[in-house]
Amino acid sequence: MSVAIELKGIEKNYPGVVANHDVDITIAKGNIHAIIGENGAGKSTLMKILYGMVKPDAGTIAIFESPATIKSPQDAIGLGIGMVHQHFMLADNATVLENIVLGSEPMKAKVVVDYAKAREHLQSIIKTYGLDISPDDLVADLGVGVRQRVEIAKVLFRGAKILILDEPTAVLVPQEVDDLFKNLKGLTQNGLTIIFISHKLDEVMAIADSITVMRHGTTVANLVPAKTNKKELAEYMIGGELPSPRPATTKPREEKVLVVTNASANDRTGREILHSINLEIHAGEILGLAGVEGNGQSELIELIMGLVKPDSGSVVTVGLNTQDSTLREIRDHGVGYIPQDRQRDGLMMAATLWENRILGHQQTKPMSNGVWIDKGAAKADSERIIEEFDVRTPSNTVLANALSGGNQQKFIVGREMSGDPKMLIAAQPTRGVDVGAQAIIWDHLIEARLKGTGVLLVSADLDELFQLSDRIAVIFRGTIVDYLDPRKTTPEQLGLAMTGEKIA
Amino acid sequence: MKNSLANRLWKIITSPSRMMLTVGAVIIMISLVRQYTGISDITSPGAAGATIRFTIPILMAGLGGLWAERSGVINIGLEGMMILGTWFGAWFGFLYGPWVGIFAGAIGGALAGILHAILTVRIGIDQAVSGLAINLLGMGTARFLSGVFFLGKGGDINISPQVNSIGTFTVPGLSPFLTEIGSKHILVISDVAGVCAGFITKINWASLVLILALPLTAWILWKTRFGLRMRFCGENPVAAESLGVNVYRTRYIALAVSGALAGLGGAYISVISTGNYLEGQTAGRGYIGLAAVIFGNWTPAGVLAGSVLFGLTDALRVRQSTSVHALLLVVITLALAYGVSKLRKKDWKGFIIGVVIGGVVLAYYLINKVVPDEFVTFFPNLTTILVLAFLSQRLRPPAMAGAPYRKGEESS
Repeated sequence: MSVAIELKGIEKNYPGVVANHDVDITIAKGNIHAIIGENGAGKSTLMKILYGMVKPDAGTIAIFESPATIKSPQDAIGLGIGMVHQHFMLADNATVLENIVLGSEPMKAKVVVDYAKAREHLQSIIKTYGLDISPDDLVADLGVGVRQRVEIAKVLFRGAKILILDEPTAVLVPQEVDDLFKNLKGLTQNGLTIIFISHKLDEVMAIADSITVMRHGTTVANLVPAKTNKKELAEYMIGGELPSPRPATTKPREEKVLVVTNASANDRTGREILHSINLEIHAGEILGLAGVEGNGQSELIELIMGLVKPDSGSVVTVGLNTQDSTLREIRDHGVGYIPQDRQRDGLMMAATLWENRILGHQQTKPMSNGVWIDKGAAKADSERIIEEFDVRTPSNTVLANALSGGNQQKFIVGREMSGDPKMLIAAQPTRGVDVGAQAIIWDHLIEARLKGTGVLLVSADLDELFQLSDRIAVIFRGTIVDYLDPRKTTPEQLGLAMTGEKIA
Repeated sequence: MKNSLANRLWKIITSPSRMMLTVGAVIIMISLVRQYTGISDITSPGAAGATIRFTIPILMAGLGGLWAERSGVINIGLEGMMILGTWFGAWFGFLYGPWVGIFAGAIGGALAGILHAILTVRIGIDQAVSGLAINLLGMGTARFLSGVFFLGKGGDINISPQVNSIGTFTVPGLSPFLTEIGSKHILVISDVAGVCAGFITKINWASLVLILALPLTAWILWKTRFGLRMRFCGENPVAAESLGVNVYRTRYIALAVSGALAGLGGAYISVISTGNYLEGQTAGRGYIGLAAVIFGNWTPAGVLAGSVLFGLTDALRVRQSTSVHALLLVVITLALAYGVSKLRKKDWKGFIIGVVIGGVVLAYYLINKVVPDEFVTFFPNLTTILVLAFLSQRLRPPAMAGAPYRKGEESS
């Protein structure tokens, strides 16, 4: 068995963070090798090192059994390493062929692209590896699965022998995942080596020939699917640190702030994305929503906020049927929303804090009297938030983009919790914030619960779910598959439930 | 079978053939209007020749805009680049002859284009701000240079000395023959013949040379490696950079060419159209060129179509304002046809808009015998607004045109 890649003692430090240390991986030629780990386990950094985008501080890399230094993606391509990015690098308003040849165009007469030759080369790749793409399609017309095949073809066109796929299934629906796996098998049969980055255990068990588990920046286990199981993988991924369940101090109230009954919803193309969801949140309760990203969380939030109307079933948010209420009405009725992407959906980055305070409250008192914005009230209330939520800022007149991520997040949490909403949707409220900010945000979520707010906590952080939730709902492939009691559940059981396994 | 036939029919209707159909319909409509109103200048060789003269500067500016935007930089500075073209063209034309003048105009525009590239690509100034600055700079520079060079040479601070003219050519035999047919007032045939005669009678050699920029641009964009890379710089610079394309360099070249084309357009105005530099003689054609780019959906052929439309209204204004009055009939017909086509799709709003516009213009047509000059002057601008308003949803600009791009940063 020949070795395609050998990584030894790879280490990478960022100021204050160790992204990778003591990473040892050996990958056999012709294998599909999965690298799994939680978000932030160091998978992406490692792949960036391998692709020449990041320089390691220590360690050695050998490609096809000869030592290699990879300083740029061009070096990596030269060594036969190709990267299929999670976010596609394609131009919509160009054909598949044009997207593929760009940057390594076969030429005739010095300046003219030899499209005939390029097409021939591409056709042979399509035929050899069984990739279903047509060179003359406009990329704008293609679905996600096809776009991914175009990306793969792009890498193969450059003669790659090793393919890195960074969370390739994150954007795919199950049917497309099956197609991708078929394609990947085809690639390895032709002698290519594939590195498959993922945190979905199901898929890894299905596709990989060998598995490396990463945790906290290092490799913790090298396994073969035949000799392991999902439970063991989950344990390796999460580690031995079990968070201690927090006893609830008060009981949730009778009153319900959210009643979702048998709700299903389709996306624009008519594909079902949410399937008969049943969900209730009581006042004074924190309901955790656990699930691997992309299983319908964002869509569920849109459904609850009334942005998406259910195609069947009903959604009653803070007493309003979303079918005949506008988002404005629902929000004014007492719904706070902490968006997952705070810089895109939560703030105007180039506006001052007090202006950001008005966002979402621009039509209601005290921020506005109907026609005019009340600047004084906005500034006063911004000061209150800065005080109560410990937002580290010189004043309320600095621009939002001058604040660190954690302080931005605290300001958003403060804004969304002002006026004591009846319900609060918190999507990844502490993602990417430091430990101090996390503690403050957690305290305020707990306090909101005590005041009688019903909280939907969507989180990928299992710790957070265990610490805060009264109940945990598990979402998988667009439906709620389980309700768990955090006091009687272990993280391993939750991890399994998130992959669609029923807990016995 | 039926389905495939319907499909094929649909393809014919929505393909270039549809363009041909539309063009044909418009020709017949114009012909009918000419016959009905008796205003024969609409399709005379003279009007066609004037249209060419007015179209070329706009086409040059439009192609300049196309180069810039395809590479991902919006070029509002076309007007300023044209102004520099008029000045450089006139001055060097006066000194060394008209051909040198035209070449100098291209150089003047290219310098402004490179300045735009330095400001937007290298320093990262907002593209609109930089473009406006170049417009102001173009105006000011031209006036300043005029004061320095023209005084005492037979010119003044706002006018240059006369430039020798470039010769014209006429296709012998065919030209008089077509002109003859054109004067017979036969429906459609005379109109087509008249217009064709205009295309081959007394055509300036410079017109012929400059118009080559159109096929050349198309060839570069769709056939060459540089064109492919340039388009990707406009569509997805991050992807282009990740595949080894030098986005900065590509944009520098594209903007230099963009400025040179606008400069050529300007030089054409001063050297060919008027024979000397006059302050303010570009009269916003740089902006009209930009509108032609949008009208033409960022394709060379589309830019040509837009330029001809704007050039035509310009030409009619100068020749005979009664023509514009007669052409209101075409506008009325188009508006009503638009309304009726919407009616079939039960789009009541579109129907009402079409009928109301048609009705208002019809009332105006019946009440007045001539269209006031002020309105005729304004007509190209109005056309632009209407065209952009109605077509905006079908337009497909380069995805990242106008967005700032810094090497090594993921674009937002």
